[in-house]
Amino acid sequence: MATGAETAQMLHTSDRQVADRSAGAPSGESAPPAVMQLDNVTRYFGRRAKHRHVVLRNVSLAVPPGEVTHIGGSNGAGKTTLLRLMAGILRPNEGTVSIGGLSSERSWRDFHRQIGFLSAGDRGLYARLTVRAHLEYWCALAFVAPEQRPASVEEGLSSFGLDGLADRRAERLSQGQRQRLRLALALAHRPRILLLDEPRNSLDAEGLERLGSGVRAAIGRGASVVWCSPPGEDQPVAFDRRLLLEDGQVRPL
Amino acid sequence: MNAVLGYRDAVAAVVRRDLRIFLTYRFRWLSRIVGTLLSLTTFYYVSKLARADAVGSHSSYFAFLLVGIVALPVLTGAMTVAQFVRQELVAGNFERILVSPTGPVIGILAMLLFPVAFALLLAAVTLALGVVLFGVHLHLGGIPVTLAVMALGCIAFAAIGLLFVATLIAFKSSAAITWVIAGLGLVGGVYFPLSLFPGWIRWAGSVQPLTPTIDLLRHELVGASLAHAAWADWVKLTAFAAVLLPVATYILSQSIKLSRSQGTILEY
Repeated sequence: MATGAETAQMLHTSDRQVADRSAGAPSGESAPPAVMQLDNVTRYFGRRAKHRHVVLRNVSLAVPPGEVTHIGGSNGAGKTTLLRLMAGILRPNEGTVSIGGLSSERSWRDFHRQIGFLSAGDRGLYARLTVRAHLEYWCALAFVAPEQRPASVEEGLSSFGLDGLADRRAERLSQGQRQRLRLALALAHRPRILLLDEPRNSLDAEGLERLGSGVRAAIGRGASVVWCSPPGEDQPVAFDRRLLLEDGQVRPL
Repeated sequence: MNAVLGYRDAVAAVVRRDLRIFLTYRFRWLSRIVGTLLSLTTFYYVSKLARADAVGSHSSYFAFLLVGIVALPVLTGAMTVAQFVRQELVAGNFERILVSPTGPVIGILAMLLFPVAFALLLAAVTLALGVVLFGVHLHLGGIPVTLAVMALGCIAFAAIGLLFVATLIAFKSSAAITWVIAGLGLVGGVYFPLSLFPGWIRWAGSVQPLTPTIDLLRHELVGASLAHAAWADWVKLTAFAAVLLPVATYILSQSIKLSRSQGTILEY
């Protein structure tokens, strides 16, 4: 059985090969740089060793551009923690998370300009703000250039079928409509890294199709997508690789 | 996009968000004005009963009170940012600021602006009610200086608000805010001249920014005499503002870093 370090090495090797293929580069030539890199990331909760709950152990992972990576794992495996580390919400206890060499600690602004994040669940909306106001707010927060914001807002509305709901408050949306808005927010600033935590949540068939289109459009722009969900769900996009998070380790499936 | 312009637009977006949410409650502004009016009426009649030697006549005492009750909400408005951050945490909205290039420190600083601006507007309305309905004579020439005093006071109190946010994020508690605001009302001389109090309260009044703010406001707006030279209050207030804000901002950034390390940043 491979140790954590060996598995991490296997993932690196696999990632480089995948990156080579996606760039059309012959084997052995230098691959394009991975967009996001996790090196020996360990994350635990609880300060005292006695009560410490280790969620991730020495996880190393490269997320190549233009690919959709699925990370599966049972409930409580640590998928949300992994995504929060990738998004710079949490800090690793050990190891580093970087995008093209940038870390969230040293370059908060440049790191986060590249991140699009959808958390699990249905939270993160202002009940009394309209759909359009949410998108306008987020585009400013995400440093979308002022001249591009109206187009980004309109694209967010149309991509997720929210045109007719633009002036409706979030508290008056159905769960599925709320999820569409949350997806539109995650994609509105055209991030290079899209981190999705259980994105199918509450979506109907049309919503799933729009999610798939949004992900494919992001990939078409050269973004990379990390999609976390429990195994066994039908998914609206094809994954370029599947990984499993189990016992604090990420391994190819 | 230029970083400075990006931050400017992000701060403006936070203010616009708060304004939009406020405006969805159609009668909230009216209820605040009615509440202020009822409070002024109560204090007007209380001032007639009070023994007012320390400030002159009954009408002088009401003018003294008016400035105090105008200033306190503005200054404490800057401190209530911790309650807004708590609401963001509970609703899961703080995460959006955390994953944005704007970042949590600038996001929290931006959240100070709308409550302070609204409190300033309400302060102007309250002063106007005091003049029109209760006959208080204001020195209009003192208004430019008043605005400068308010600005310094708001900065100093915003810094205290940031310290509360830092505590909230690191320790998940903002319970101290209520009693600190009540305590400041007492030791800051909002309702009574500090000369009436025992020595230790007078000392407490001299080591926080509310007292010099209110003393200078009373001096400028209603001509109240100062216990010492005005420049001493100016120096004290400026020092509070200049020292507290960078210190509080640094402590806030460290508390965010600590909470991200502990994994509790999104918890409340």
